Amino acid sequence: MSNENPGIGLGADDAEMKRGPLGRWVNTAIKNPDRAYRSMFYVAMVFFLVTTLFPFYWLLVLALTPNNLISNMGLLPKGFNLTVFIEMFQRVPFHWYMFNSFVLGITTTVLVLLIASLAGYVFGRLRFPGKGILMLGILAISYFPPAAFLIPLFELFTGNTAISIGSVTVSSPDLFNTPAPMVFPFSALFLPLSIFILTTFYGQIPDGLEDAARVEGTTRLGALFRVIVPLSAPGVATAGVLTFISVYNEFFFSFLMNNGEAGSWAPIVAGILKYQGQFDTPFNLMAAASIVGVLPVAILVIIAQERIVSGLTAGALKE
Amino acid sequence: MGDVKLEHVSKHYGDVTAVDDMNLEIQDGEFICLVGPSGCGKSTTMEMIAGLTIPSEGEVFIGDREVTNLPPKDRGVAMVFQNIALFPHMNVYDNISFGLRLRNYDKEEIQRRVERAADVVQLEGMLERMPDEMSGGQRQRVAIARAIVRNPGVFLMDEPLANLDAKLRVHMRTELQRLHKELDTTIIYVTHDQAEAMTMSDRIAVIDSGRLQQIDPPLVCYNEPANLFVAGFIGSPSMNFLDGEVTDYGFESTYINVEFDPAEIGVEVGTDVTMGIRPEDVYLIEDERQVANPSHQIDAMTDVLEPMGDEIFVYLKLSEEAHADLEDATGVINDQLLMSVSPDTDVEEDEDVTVILDRTRVHLFDTETGKALSHGIESMVQASGAPGTEAESDD
Repeated sequence: MSNENPGIGLGADDAEMKRGPLGRWVNTAIKNPDRAYRSMFYVAMVFFLVTTLFPFYWLLVLALTPNNLISNMGLLPKGFNLTVFIEMFQRVPFHWYMFNSFVLGITTTVLVLLIASLAGYVFGRLRFPGKGILMLGILAISYFPPAAFLIPLFELFTGNTAISIGSVTVSSPDLFNTPAPMVFPFSALFLPLSIFILTTFYGQIPDGLEDAARVEGTTRLGALFRVIVPLSAPGVATAGVLTFISVYNEFFFSFLMNNGEAGSWAPIVAGILKYQGQFDTPFNLMAAASIVGVLPVAILVIIAQERIVSGLTAGALKE
Repeated sequence: MGDVKLEHVSKHYGDVTAVDDMNLEIQDGEFICLVGPSGCGKSTTMEMIAGLTIPSEGEVFIGDREVTNLPPKDRGVAMVFQNIALFPHMNVYDNISFGLRLRNYDKEEIQRRVERAADVVQLEGMLERMPDEMSGGQRQRVAIARAIVRNPGVFLMDEPLANLDAKLRVHMRTELQRLHKELDTTIIYVTHDQAEAMTMSDRIAVIDSGRLQQIDPPLVCYNEPANLFVAGFIGSPSMNFLDGEVTDYGFESTYINVEFDPAEIGVEVGTDVTMGIRPEDVYLIEDERQVANPSHQIDAMTDVLEPMGDEIFVYLKLSEEAHADLEDATGVINDQLLMSVSPDTDVEEDEDVTVILDRTRVHLFDTETGKALSHGIESMVQASGAPGTEAESDD
């Protein structure tokens, strides 16, 4: 029998014995899918951890290795040169670049939160014709590539655009090397996302609370900032953090709207490039600067996460 | 001061009319209940007094000021909301003092006023708590304290007790009455619960589908309802209604006839009328001596009994096919009658009984327009004049 049809005979009779460890694992996973899900979860987690954390590790490896030894790098640093974190501030006033980045980020965030709060109130709490189309318009604008605006905005902010009204010609102000040509485009670019976040949050605050505030003596605007915004704290924090990080990470406008000097409001990106001299490229200093530059945002996210997770609205109303 | 006047006020939302030509005059210090079924426009009316909604037409006056388009903060009103609406991010002290702080009172004055308000609603020692640490009744009291702390001319209360449990609701009802006595300000109170309206108010304004149906003291609304709607809405359980016609001999319907002289109460022969009689004005034949002016005897069969403790509701079938279904508040069901008898009465289900009506308590309404024609057939000499004209003026 077995000679005539060996394949079927083996498979049918000796199934348990012929399976290896993988076969047994597959068998239990089919019977108990939770195991499969759990292992998939671990695989995905390890993948994301490695892909997000490895670059930081690599920066650390580069920073700790003296610059003259940076070639044919392995996974371990060739040396342990901690003075690089002091040298990076001596070679370039990196703290000023960081200060500039903070000023740009905070100004933009404040501006965005202010405008997005007003917009979010209107979209989230009022009913008017054309609301859907306006929302769609904001969504559409948020998908415009920022690079498309670069040249016209550069012309505008460097004072090269002039409008003639009759005999009077008004030329645009020269704002190059000031925060304005960065803050305004940033605000415009990052507004739509904040508007969407705040619209959802403000829309969920019960009407009764706003009415109560208005009867108690606030205007609509007062009710927005005294009641609706504090109660939407997680949403406002989310919008603010996302905006701040986006500005902190931004490249195009940050790079092109100033001459790259710390005194010209150039942010971190210019600072890192500033290390590159005519005759050398100190990779270790650049790596160290990158790590220092990332730290504030990492800390901000860790702190803000607590804030975002902790809901403030518990027990808001007896519904 | 605290008198409120609405003149020809209407509110339209697109094609929907929420409030239709409302005229109201509320005296200073009065406790008025706006009562009506859900969606009748009573809350919209209140919002227009508060300024949260701007009327489409008409004018609103508070005191001697025209306030139709003023924002709520400038109207000198305070409001207690159905969902209580305490600011969840502030403690009790901050909640109560919210309005005062906005008006830049000094710290000592705020402190003094908050403590007095907390004293009135018995909230001493809880000023540091957050709203989510308090019970429903306590929160409601904070909301009331927040309203009274500013000494407003007018109090608006939008179903403030709707979310409390039954026992607390009865308790808060008496507290509100005490508060009204103490403060002596105008209170406008919205509710869909006619029992609340009956027990608390000086006058009840009954509203249906955006129109004012009747505004009168509670007992007048109960005893002399201006129309079918008011008759059916005020009183629980609701009034019995039977459709019939006026003949030379009085009211005639399929099962029940009530004798009277049509000329004497000013009803034309041949008019389609609806007769209304409250359950407590239907008596068993054994209790005939309690009725000064009984009607004909009516044969009926008991259907379902609802013993309430202090009384028994008896559903009576006037014909074999009748079903016990009196859910519809204003529904006219011609072959059934609801009777309330004292708890020691000896009745059983599915028993043949004979009942009589108290003729002085029979109401007649025009079936077509719903207007009241007469309240009490024997006492019509006194009754027909006053309520008849009132019904006219209110519509």
